Amino acid sequence: MTAVVRAEGLTKYYGRRRGLEDLTLEIRPGEIFGYLGPNGAGKTTTIRLLLDVIRPTRGHVRVLGAGSREAAVRARIGYLPGELALEGRERAADYLAFLGRVRGGVPAARIEALAERLDADLSVPMRKLSKGNKQKIGLIQAFMHEPDLLILDEPTGGLDPLVQQEFLTMVREVRASGRTVLMSSHVLAEVEHVSDRVGIVRAGRLVAVENVAALREKAMRRVELHFDAPVPAEAFADLPGVRELRVEGAGLRCTIDGRPDALVKAAARFTVVHLVSEEPDLEEIFLTYYSDEGRDDDRQEPA
Amino acid sequence: MIAKSLREFRRSLIWWTIGISAFMAMYLSIYPNISGNPDLYGAQALAKFPGALRDLMGGLQDMTSGLGYLQSVVYQLFVPMLFTVCAMLIANRAIAQPEEAGTLELVVTLPVDRRRLLLQRFAAFALGLLAVAVITLLVTWALAESVALGVGLDRLVAAHTGVYLVGLFFGSVTLAAGAASGRRAPSLALGGVWAVLGYVVVTVGQNVEAIAWLKWISPFHYYATGRPLYQGLPAGDYLVLAGAIAVLVLTAVLAFDRRDIGV
Repeated sequence: MTAVVRAEGLTKYYGRRRGLEDLTLEIRPGEIFGYLGPNGAGKTTTIRLLLDVIRPTRGHVRVLGAGSREAAVRARIGYLPGELALEGRERAADYLAFLGRVRGGVPAARIEALAERLDADLSVPMRKLSKGNKQKIGLIQAFMHEPDLLILDEPTGGLDPLVQQEFLTMVREVRASGRTVLMSSHVLAEVEHVSDRVGIVRAGRLVAVENVAALREKAMRRVELHFDAPVPAEAFADLPGVRELRVEGAGLRCTIDGRPDALVKAAARFTVVHLVSEEPDLEEIFLTYYSDEGRDDDRQEPA
Repeated sequence: MIAKSLREFRRSLIWWTIGISAFMAMYLSIYPNISGNPDLYGAQALAKFPGALRDLMGGLQDMTSGLGYLQSVVYQLFVPMLFTVCAMLIANRAIAQPEEAGTLELVVTLPVDRRRLLLQRFAAFALGLLAVAVITLLVTWALAESVALGVGLDRLVAAHTGVYLVGLFFGSVTLAAGAASGRRAPSLALGGVWAVLGYVVVTVGQNVEAIAWLKWISPFHYYATGRPLYQGLPAGDYLVLAGAIAVLVLTAVLAFDRRDIGV
């Protein structure tokens, strides 16, 4: 299958300031791709290059099989800008109707249904909308024409938790119908539960693209075991993948790197009364990427 | 897109129409006082004005006749300037203002070619300004009839067309600068400085040899020298203006098409 987004050597400089350096990336049909990085890392630059808002300094990108300069293809893209500006006395409903017309027609019923799901009031002049309500209008206009590719730049900013849940459901529905989502965030927690893969961008470079399930498997997790009687510490010494082992009486704490198999087998010799295994903290891995590869990256750069 | 742009411009278009009409009403309604007092406003009285000021007001000949009055107080300076300011402010709302506000970002990601987008925004601006011109023309005509100014509709149309073209010209300057830079204040400044200097050159500057040649790049030259109110529509001069506007719009299209938006 052809990639929905295919960027090759995509580079953008703003004058001498680097926005994005040599991005090569493929986003496959039907996946949710989380695009992660701190503010100013190059996420928005990438997204605006895909949409032809800005032009690359070098390299090229194809979106839905077309060059980014081809305007017609944008009817099949839904875009939520990172800094959505909605102004004026115009009512949100009229603005959405206008956007729908230009994109080739959107049934009014679909707009209303989305507004209801997100609990958005479309009768208010846009300048009177709060940040969260503007974001809802932004989501409606991105989803309403059922685009093949959704590009969402920091989509959850300003949304309350209930609406965030509804939004994530909508994103999953898009994937279920075989369509593709690219969403950026500076917080992994926002995207890890829906994303199939995450790309991590830092200081203008893509430092890693990881499968979320694989990332989770690789992750360190903290494990706590309680036994019915004190256990000898030696029984758990030198197990593969077990670190930071602390045995205190009938309790055991450690962190596991990778699979918990060895620990489980060692523990099976005793009577386990309680087992706690924390969800792997992807945020931690994420930060590891930044601190380790990030530092290497900096060292390679000419001063 | 054109209809949507016009909706954005609507309120300011309405206010400008009201403002210019009010200006017309105020000045034309005092015409009977002036024509009735030739001692105060006649040629001898006006000759006492300093020469430079007279030049700036287009010579101030003959305030007591309908034509002279209309030319001096309405079509010489004030109405073209009002139109110019109105045009520049509205033209700025086509690209530069929404770009600075951030609302243009979503619009350029619509499935509309950049060049087409710019032409549609320009068309909306030109149509909006035309509406202001037509309505204020009708208001002027009605007022002129009511105070028995004695100026035919054809001459009013000739002068008003010139005013419209001058406005459109400076609006296009602002639009082109905005399309190329995405910045509101410099675009407005460029149009404003060009307008003021252009006006000075064809009035006070016409006797100063060093700068008199600059009149060729002043749109006021093509508007005023034909004396549309006295002699009817100066087709050649107006075609020059229209051609200049076309060049400006083309420049705007090319500049906008190759630029990064909102950086």
